Amino acid sequence: MKFKVSDSFHAEYVVNAQIHQLFLEISNDHNLLHTDREFAVSKGFKANVMHGNILNCFLSHFIGEGLPHKNVVIHSQTIQFNNPVYLDEKLQFQAKVEDIIESVNVVIFKYNFKNESLKSVAKGKIQIGLL
Amino acid sequence: MTMDRNEILKQLNDIFIEVLDHEEIVISESTTAADVEEWDSLNHIMLVVEIENHFEIKFKSNAILSWKNVGQMMDTIIEK
Repeated sequence: MKFKVSDSFHAEYVVNAQIHQLFLEISNDHNLLHTDREFAVSKGFKANVMHGNILNCFLSHFIGEGLPHKNVVIHSQTIQFNNPVYLDEKLQFQAKVEDIIESVNVVIFKYNFKNESLKSVAKGKIQIGLL
Repeated sequence: MTMDRNEILKQLNDIFIEVLDHEEIVISESTTAADVEEWDSLNHIMLVVEIENHFEIKFKSNAILSWKNVGQMMDTIIEK
Protein backbone atom coordinates (compact mmCIF):
# COMPACT_ATOMS: atom_id res chain seq x y z
CA MET A 1 0.00 0.00 0.00
CA LYS A 2 1.55 3.31 -1.10
CA PHE A 3 -0.54 5.40 1.27
CA LYS A 4 -0.63 5.89 5.03
CA VAL A 5 -3.41 7.37 7.14
CA SER A 6 -2.81 11.13 7.52
CA ASP A 7 -0.78 11.40 4.30
CA SER A 8 -1.55 14.86 3.00
CA PHE A 9 -1.61 16.19 -0.55
CA HIS A 10 -1.80 19.82 -1.68
CA ALA A 11 -2.53 21.58 -4.93
CA GLU A 12 -3.62 24.97 -6.20
CA TYR A 13 -6.47 25.43 -8.65
CA VAL A 14 -7.97 28.47 -10.33
CA VAL A 15 -11.26 28.73 -12.20
CA ASN A 16 -10.02 30.98 -14.98
CA ALA A 17 -11.98 32.33 -17.93
CA GLN A 18 -11.01 29.43 -20.18
CA ILE A 19 -12.11 26.81 -17.67
CA HIS A 20 -15.34 28.68 -17.03
CA GLN A 21 -16.06 28.89 -20.75
CA LEU A 22 -15.26 25.23 -21.36
CA PHE A 23 -17.47 24.17 -18.49
CA LEU A 24 -20.33 26.30 -19.81
CA GLU A 25 -19.97 24.44 -23.10
CA ILE A 26 -19.72 20.90 -21.77
CA SER A 27 -22.38 21.29 -19.08
CA ASN A 28 -24.70 23.53 -21.12
CA ASP A 29 -25.57 25.15 -17.79
CA HIS A 30 -25.90 28.86 -18.62
CA ASN A 31 -27.87 29.75 -15.50
CA LEU A 32 -27.77 33.50 -14.82
CA LEU A 33 -26.04 32.92 -11.49
CA HIS A 34 -23.03 31.68 -13.47
CA THR A 35 -23.18 34.05 -16.43
CA ASP A 36 -24.76 37.36 -15.41
CA ARG A 37 -22.84 39.47 -12.93
CA GLU A 38 -25.74 41.89 -12.27
CA PHE A 39 -28.13 39.05 -11.59
CA ALA A 40 -25.68 37.38 -9.18
CA VAL A 41 -25.05 40.67 -7.37
CA SER A 42 -28.82 41.21 -7.06
CA LYS A 43 -28.96 37.85 -5.26
CA GLY A 44 -26.31 38.85 -2.76
CA PHE A 45 -23.13 37.52 -4.40
CA LYS A 46 -20.01 39.56 -5.19
CA ALA A 47 -20.08 38.55 -8.85
CA ASN A 48 -21.27 35.68 -11.01
CA VAL A 49 -20.57 32.41 -9.26
CA MET A 50 -18.48 29.70 -10.87
CA HIS A 51 -20.17 26.33 -11.26
CA GLY A 52 -19.51 24.27 -8.16
CA ASN A 53 -19.11 21.20 -10.30
CA ILE A 54 -15.95 22.63 -11.84
CA LEU A 55 -14.41 21.60 -8.53
CA ASN A 56 -15.35 18.03 -9.37
CA CYS A 57 -13.13 18.38 -12.45
CA PHE A 58 -10.30 19.45 -10.15
CA LEU A 59 -10.99 16.40 -7.99
CA SER A 60 -10.76 14.25 -11.09
CA HIS A 61 -7.38 15.83 -11.87
CA PHE A 62 -6.16 15.28 -8.33
CA ILE A 63 -7.09 11.61 -8.27
CA GLY A 64 -6.00 10.89 -11.83
CA GLU A 65 -2.80 12.93 -11.95
CA GLY A 66 -1.87 14.16 -8.49
CA LEU A 67 -1.31 10.94 -6.60
CA PRO A 68 1.88 8.87 -6.44
CA HIS A 69 -0.13 5.82 -7.51
CA LYS A 70 -1.58 6.26 -11.02
CA ASN A 71 -3.56 3.03 -11.30
CA VAL A 72 -6.65 4.18 -9.48
CA VAL A 73 -10.38 4.31 -9.94
CA ILE A 74 -12.87 6.54 -8.14
CA HIS A 75 -15.56 4.54 -6.35
CA SER A 76 -17.50 7.42 -4.84
CA GLN A 77 -17.20 11.03 -3.85
CA THR A 78 -19.19 13.57 -1.93
CA ILE A 79 -19.05 17.33 -2.17
CA GLN A 80 -20.55 20.04 -0.02
CA PHE A 81 -20.44 23.61 -1.28
CA ASN A 82 -19.85 26.00 1.60
CA ASN A 83 -19.06 29.28 -0.15
CA PRO A 84 -19.14 30.65 -3.69
CA VAL A 85 -16.13 30.53 -6.00
CA TYR A 86 -15.51 33.52 -8.25
CA LEU A 87 -13.58 33.91 -11.48
CA ASP A 88 -9.77 33.80 -11.11
CA GLU A 89 -9.90 33.04 -7.39
CA LYS A 90 -6.98 30.89 -6.27
CA LEU A 91 -8.13 27.80 -4.44
CA GLN A 92 -5.91 25.86 -2.08
CA PHE A 93 -6.75 22.19 -2.18
CA GLN A 94 -5.82 19.74 0.55
CA ALA A 95 -6.63 16.05 0.72
CA LYS A 96 -5.77 13.79 3.64
CA VAL A 97 -5.90 10.04 3.77
CA GLU A 98 -8.64 9.35 6.29
CA ASP A 99 -8.87 5.58 6.07
CA ILE A 100 -7.31 2.65 4.27
CA ILE A 101 -9.14 -0.61 3.74
CA GLU A 102 -6.26 -2.84 2.74
CA SER A 103 -8.38 -5.94 2.31
CA VAL A 104 -10.00 -4.43 -0.79
CA ASN A 105 -7.27 -1.90 -1.78
CA VAL A 106 -9.39 1.11 -0.92
CA VAL A 107 -8.21 4.54 0.19
CA ILE A 108 -10.59 7.19 1.52
CA PHE A 109 -9.60 10.86 1.36
CA LYS A 110 -11.11 13.80 3.14
CA TYR A 111 -10.59 16.97 1.13
CA ASN A 112 -11.13 20.69 1.34
CA PHE A 113 -10.90 23.59 -1.10
CA LYS A 114 -10.16 26.96 0.53
CA ASN A 115 -10.30 30.37 -1.08
CA GLU A 116 -7.80 33.19 -0.66
CA SER A 117 -9.50 34.23 2.60
CA LEU A 118 -8.91 30.66 3.82
CA LYS A 119 -12.63 30.02 3.91
CA SER A 120 -13.71 26.57 2.89
CA VAL A 121 -15.57 26.70 -0.41
CA ALA A 122 -16.12 22.97 -0.72
CA LYS A 123 -15.31 19.81 1.15
CA GLY A 124 -16.10 16.15 1.06
CA LYS A 125 -14.75 12.64 0.77
CA ILE A 126 -13.46 10.53 -2.09
CA GLN A 127 -13.12 6.79 -2.06
CA ILE A 128 -10.72 5.29 -4.55
CA GLY A 129 -9.66 1.79 -5.42
CA LEU A 130 -6.07 0.88 -6.27
CA LEU A 131 -5.98 -1.28 -9.38
CA MET B 1 -17.47 -10.11 18.93
CA THR B 2 -20.17 -10.93 21.51
CA MET B 3 -23.17 -10.10 19.34
CA ASP B 4 -25.35 -13.09 18.43
CA ARG B 5 -25.72 -14.22 14.82
CA ASN B 6 -29.26 -12.90 14.48
CA GLU B 7 -28.20 -9.43 15.57
CA ILE B 8 -25.20 -9.47 13.20
CA LEU B 9 -27.45 -10.62 10.35
CA LYS B 10 -29.93 -7.83 11.11
CA GLN B 11 -27.18 -5.22 11.10
CA LEU B 12 -25.70 -6.66 7.90
CA ASN B 13 -29.14 -6.49 6.31
CA ASP B 14 -29.30 -2.77 7.11
CA ILE B 15 -25.87 -2.27 5.53
CA PHE B 16 -26.93 -4.18 2.40
CA ILE B 17 -30.07 -2.02 2.13
CA GLU B 18 -28.02 1.16 2.39
CA VAL B 19 -25.11 0.19 0.13
CA LEU B 20 -27.16 -1.60 -2.52
CA ASP B 21 -29.93 1.02 -2.33
CA HIS B 22 -32.52 -1.74 -2.20
CA GLU B 23 -35.14 -1.20 0.50
CA GLU B 24 -36.77 -4.63 0.20
CA ILE B 25 -33.66 -6.75 0.38
CA VAL B 26 -33.72 -9.54 2.96
CA ILE B 27 -30.52 -11.51 3.30
CA SER B 28 -30.02 -14.82 5.04
CA GLU B 29 -26.91 -16.79 5.90
CA SER B 30 -27.21 -18.71 2.63
CA THR B 31 -27.53 -15.58 0.46
CA THR B 32 -24.81 -15.30 -2.20
CA ALA B 33 -23.86 -12.53 -4.61
CA ALA B 34 -25.66 -14.43 -7.36
CA ASP B 35 -28.94 -14.06 -5.42
CA VAL B 36 -28.80 -10.25 -5.30
CA GLU B 37 -28.77 -8.39 -8.59
CA GLU B 38 -27.06 -5.29 -7.19
CA TRP B 39 -24.29 -7.25 -5.46
CA ASP B 40 -21.63 -6.73 -8.14
CA SER B 41 -17.86 -6.42 -7.74
CA LEU B 42 -17.86 -2.69 -6.98
CA ASN B 43 -20.72 -2.99 -4.50
CA HIS B 44 -18.87 -5.89 -2.90
CA ILE B 45 -16.00 -3.48 -2.16
CA MET B 46 -18.48 -0.88 -0.86
CA LEU B 47 -20.05 -3.53 1.38
CA VAL B 48 -16.67 -4.51 2.82
CA VAL B 49 -15.82 -0.85 3.51
CA GLU B 50 -19.13 -0.26 5.29
CA ILE B 51 -18.98 -3.53 7.24
CA GLU B 52 -15.43 -2.78 8.44
CA ASN B 53 -16.49 0.69 9.53
CA HIS B 54 -19.72 -0.44 11.15
CA PHE B 55 -18.24 -3.30 13.17
CA GLU B 56 -14.90 -1.51 13.66
CA ILE B 57 -12.93 -4.46 12.35
CA LYS B 58 -10.38 -5.05 9.60
CA PHE B 59 -10.65 -8.03 7.30
CA LYS B 60 -7.78 -9.85 5.61
CA SER B 61 -8.10 -10.07 1.85
CA ASN B 62 -7.79 -13.88 1.89
CA ALA B 63 -10.75 -14.08 4.29
CA ILE B 64 -12.86 -11.98 1.92
CA LEU B 65 -11.87 -14.16 -1.01
CA SER B 66 -12.98 -17.27 0.88
CA TRP B 67 -16.55 -16.06 1.46
CA LYS B 68 -19.11 -18.11 -0.41
CA ASN B 69 -22.19 -16.61 1.27
CA VAL B 70 -23.36 -14.19 3.95
CA GLY B 71 -22.97 -16.86 6.64
CA GLN B 72 -19.24 -17.13 5.96
CA MET B 73 -18.99 -13.35 6.03
CA MET B 74 -20.65 -13.50 9.46
CA ASP B 75 -18.19 -16.17 10.62
CA THR B 76 -15.31 -13.78 9.88
CA ILE B 77 -17.05 -10.93 11.68
CA ILE B 78 -17.61 -13.13 14.74
CA GLU B 79 -13.95 -14.28 14.72
CA LYS B 80 -12.94 -10.63 15.03
